[in-house]
Amino acid sequence: MIKVLKEGLFSTIQDSGRFGYKNIGVPVSGAMDQTSAKLANLILGNDESAAVLEMTLLGPTLEFLNDTYISITGADMNPMVNKKKVLLNETLLIKKGDILYLANSSNGMRTYLGIRGGLNSEKILGSKSFYKGITKKEKLIKNDQIEFDLSISSPKKINQNFNDIKINRNSKIKVFKGPEFGCLDPISQDMIFNNEFTIGVNNRMAYNLVEIIENKIPSIVSSPLMPGTIQLTPSGRVIILCRDCQTTGGYPRILQLDKKSLDCLSQKVTGEKINFYLNKSL
Amino acid sequence: MPVKRNNIFFKVFNEESILIHWNDQVNLKLIDTIISYQKLIEQELSEVLIECVQSINSMMVIYDPNKINSEDLVKTLQKLNSSDVKVAKSEKKIWKIPVCYDLSFGIDLEDMSTLNSISVDEIIKIHSSTTYSVLSMGFLPGFLYLGVNDKKLYCERKDKPELNIKSGSIGIARDQTGIYPQDSPGGWKIIGRSPISFFNVNNKSPCFSKPGDKIKFQSISFLEFNKIEKRKNSYKIKYEVV
Repeated sequence: MIKVLKEGLFSTIQDSGRFGYKNIGVPVSGAMDQTSAKLANLILGNDESAAVLEMTLLGPTLEFLNDTYISITGADMNPMVNKKKVLLNETLLIKKGDILYLANSSNGMRTYLGIRGGLNSEKILGSKSFYKGITKKEKLIKNDQIEFDLSISSPKKINQNFNDIKINRNSKIKVFKGPEFGCLDPISQDMIFNNEFTIGVNNRMAYNLVEIIENKIPSIVSSPLMPGTIQLTPSGRVIILCRDCQTTGGYPRILQLDKKSLDCLSQKVTGEKINFYLNKSL
Repeated sequence: MPVKRNNIFFKVFNEESILIHWNDQVNLKLIDTIISYQKLIEQELSEVLIECVQSINSMMVIYDPNKINSEDLVKTLQKLNSSDVKVAKSEKKIWKIPVCYDLSFGIDLEDMSTLNSISVDEIIKIHSSTTYSVLSMGFLPGFLYLGVNDKKLYCERKDKPELNIKSGSIGIARDQTGIYPQDSPGGWKIIGRSPISFFNVNNKSPCFSKPGDKIKFQSISFLEFNKIEKRKNSYKIKYEVV
């Protein structure tokens, strides 16, 4: 069991997502940075889609009520067990009564805490990922208790090299052309690939960009969306949809982030710059 | 009888999804075509399929890229589209949804009455005598897009969305009507409220209805609203099989 001593800014339980219910309007959810969540699990020998804790900008303080093994990946929240600094991307032995402190994040926005065996919270519609209206909880609050598997004593011996799932931290965001990309005038099309964009207001539902792209495309009938879809609103606002996005929408879909770039984007904070590059691999 | 499907386009959307778009006029017939194609895909491609997301003139097919590549999947989808494979028949239902059109729930009834030069009674009469089709779902878990409204009920969304529309509220936007399955912000004009529960994650099928079904609203009094609301969790929504 883990007890939440301080809740931090916004911490949720996430797994690889909720599948099979998009057709009735249920978002896929799941960890924003799937690469880091997967890494947290693989380090411990867990199933790569096991439930982890996603912590945003300011981490919580957590007390462990049982012995276990943990791993911490993603943004650096200067993690300390009791008073001692611990490393990211390593297996860490935790003893009953140990307290994990996570501070402000640097070099990213989201940190992932993996637990040997995965977190045990309620599974709703096939997933443990928190989402308002689906799971009872939207985020962790002080005094919450999270269960985990106690039957597993030690992490599996891992011989895998994790270099191929290292997190991409640069400003390059790779995109495919969206269904309505061709409706943009050539000047706007060029502008997208020749300019820097700034991260604006953002959350698990979407990242807004500060810059405006003039939009003369009429709105479309409400159509399916995916995490990573870039919508252009009538006023020219650029919205990059993320894991908790709606399943359908009526704004033109000008671009689509590739999956690695969506993970990379979810580590960007307000004010950071990004550049779009065309991914021609499809 | 196999449904003839023409004017259909396939686009590789990302590493794990194909968007299928129909360049036809949006109508109920097209929605039936899309839904039966979706059923066919679910029936024949379950090995590689993760899920389909249907809308009124397109559908996203989300698949497992470890099991099939996009090129082969598009070919398979095209082949399936022109095949004579039959879809397992499922019954279509007309669901009877009780709605109280009291002005305390239908907060925009009077506004609509003025805008459309039509009496409140007539709005209620038209809305509760129309049989609506479930066109698609989205926006919120369990939100039903229903169409098509009588022209007399046509109205634009509110300029400023309401911050808290109550669960069960019945709204109108343009030629569609919809039910809010949970408390949420929203910009549709609200004409009434249903006392029943529309989305329950503890049920195997969390939503009572699915695209392709039909819905009829039945006007109930304020007293009946309170009576049904008290037992909303055990209330069985009545239906007829078409």
